[in-house]
Amino acid sequence: MSKLKGRMFRVRAVATKELIDFVRDWRTLIAVILIPLIIFPLLFIALPFLLESQAEERSEFELRIVVQSESEDTDFMAYLDGDNANITWEELPAGIANLSDPGPDYSRVREHGVNAILRLEEGVEDNSTIWNYSILRDSTDEMANEATKRIVTALNTWEEQLIEATLDENDLNPNTTLNPIRWGGDIDASDVATAGEQAGFALSLFIPLIVATWTATSAMQPSIDMTAGERERGTMEALLCAPINRFELLLGKWIAVALISATGVLAQVCALFFAISFIASNSDTFGVPELSLSAILLMFMAILLFAIMVVAFQLALAVRSRSTKEAGSTLGPMIIAILFPAMFAQFINLEGVEGYWFLIPVVNVLLALREILTNTIIFEHIILWAGSSLIYALLAAYYASRQFNREDLVDSIN
Amino acid sequence: MKQLIQNAAGDFLSALLTLNGVSKHFGHIEALSRVDLTLNRGDIVGLVGGNGAGKTTLLRLMCGLYQPTDGTVVYHGENGDRPLVEMRNHLGVVPEGTGLYHRLTAWENIRYHTRLHGIEDEVAWKKTLQLADALSFTGELGRPTRGFSRGMRQKTAIIRALAHSPDILLLDEPTGGLDVTSAREVRSLVGQVRDSGGTVIYSTHHLAEAQQVCDRIIIIHNGEVRADGSPDELMRYTEEKNLEDAYVSLTADAARIFDDVDTEGKIAKIWRKLLTPRRLPSNMSSPEEVNEDE
Repeated sequence: MSKLKGRMFRVRAVATKELIDFVRDWRTLIAVILIPLIIFPLLFIALPFLLESQAEERSEFELRIVVQSESEDTDFMAYLDGDNANITWEELPAGIANLSDPGPDYSRVREHGVNAILRLEEGVEDNSTIWNYSILRDSTDEMANEATKRIVTALNTWEEQLIEATLDENDLNPNTTLNPIRWGGDIDASDVATAGEQAGFALSLFIPLIVATWTATSAMQPSIDMTAGERERGTMEALLCAPINRFELLLGKWIAVALISATGVLAQVCALFFAISFIASNSDTFGVPELSLSAILLMFMAILLFAIMVVAFQLALAVRSRSTKEAGSTLGPMIIAILFPAMFAQFINLEGVEGYWFLIPVVNVLLALREILTNTIIFEHIILWAGSSLIYALLAAYYASRQFNREDLVDSIN
Repeated sequence: MKQLIQNAAGDFLSALLTLNGVSKHFGHIEALSRVDLTLNRGDIVGLVGGNGAGKTTLLRLMCGLYQPTDGTVVYHGENGDRPLVEMRNHLGVVPEGTGLYHRLTAWENIRYHTRLHGIEDEVAWKKTLQLADALSFTGELGRPTRGFSRGMRQKTAIIRALAHSPDILLLDEPTGGLDVTSAREVRSLVGQVRDSGGTVIYSTHHLAEAQQVCDRIIIIHNGEVRADGSPDELMRYTEEKNLEDAYVSLTADAARIFDDVDTEGKIAKIWRKLLTPRRLPSNMSSPEEVNEDE
């Protein structure tokens, strides 16, 4: 066996063993693969269904609504939807400071004897009749919120009718008076961006964030298990006595963690595109992002360089720890160190963005992904983010290889 | 150190490993002090010593896991002196904790190591079956090691250490947790390794076992080699009738307490000192008082 072939054989042996070991741990498998696979379909498909069904359920609540005014025959009563609602009229209570003062109605609203009370008071301003109102409700109660929603809908319709009536009395056309400035034609037709480009732009605001945070979080558990975990369980000593050099060991473990992390990220992105496709199939305005082949390749390159850096750095930090607990305490804050720059990168204007942003770790890859998702390919930017990412990845790999050469690697807390 | 024997077979060609004035320091602690040893091919060498004596440090220096602070460790290969790292191709190790992956089966644990030695799976499987047969372990090879008893784990680790037919076998408490029959099987395997020209380094606390298995015993105490010779030679030298008395005589001075926390980082050390109570609670007796009561 040639020297290089022997090295490859050993690296493959380490990576294979780590992957088998990982796949056998069903808890980690669920956390790293299954959850990213279902999170977006749940968020984009199941959640809207749930919200819709809950709204429908709320509309069927039997509500108790009280309208308080000086006279029972206000026009408003005609606009309030009486379905599934028990609507009663009362006179405005005496002795309240203003309409919003609950006064004697405090306890029955608070104890949900009624879900909402609408108070209406007629007034005159500039020789015109106006209506002051308030709605007494418990904003933490779902039925009170539903009652409030129905009252507000009725008030809006009544208001429109009052405005139209006033305009009619003064021989004014409500349409021309209220909408003198209008969009001409089909608003969607005026946007020259395709549905796919619009989707790409919208997704560029959160896909990079997901990729960055998920790469870091999904790599954390396997990184700890393959390094500090080995030390804690006392398996490292036997392994280091085998004829494998530390760099080969690092490489084998890195490949395993990178594959696991990449699978998690890929699962998440695929699930996201599936969810988007599902929404797009039911929408005229929203489409699936259109990416050129070069954009897709650049996206993979950016993620790969980022993953090399993150995984190498996590392995290096984790291998310094003698137990999984120690490693968890070290790597936990590292996720925040990635999350914060990643969040800031979402708010940087891409238009006229200064070159130095593409040199800052984490931020550079996030900005690169944002540009790529909007099909913006700027050669200078690619040079900057690819070059700086490569340097960071190499530095992280060098640091990791130094940590793997530590003499105390064989020590464990046991 | 008292070099009690001049090994009869100790010509340079038969030497396998030579330690010249080897010392090992961890911070201010001297774990091993100026050790001079020559291990010869075909020897079964027992390393005997109490906890913290320096046995593990010596074993790790022999494997190349530690670099000596002073002195040299030289591996005498077939083609002359070679870097210590090359010895790993010919080394089988059974660490005290066995070092098995509990989500893998016994065979997968063994295969992982044979692959690292560049051995084809078919060849490794045949050898594994042969060794498992000798240890009455064939039926367990396909089981995950998670539920294994200490003895089963020990057998797996021994098969793993021997599956690539090493020239040097390094065993740390190999019969710990084994029943009488299994311990005898292990000792028999060790004898076979020696008979086939291999060298065995056998670290143990059990003097009786060392006497039974080893041709040569090295007694380590407080980081020093206190004696090196055959069991008979050790007893003759100390004028004791059994090895246990000889050992006690050679290690009569108090064992040092190895302060493991000295290896922790600076910040961790400061933090620990801040949060560790300096006194026992007032309602508890001090160790001195307990001793007086007794």
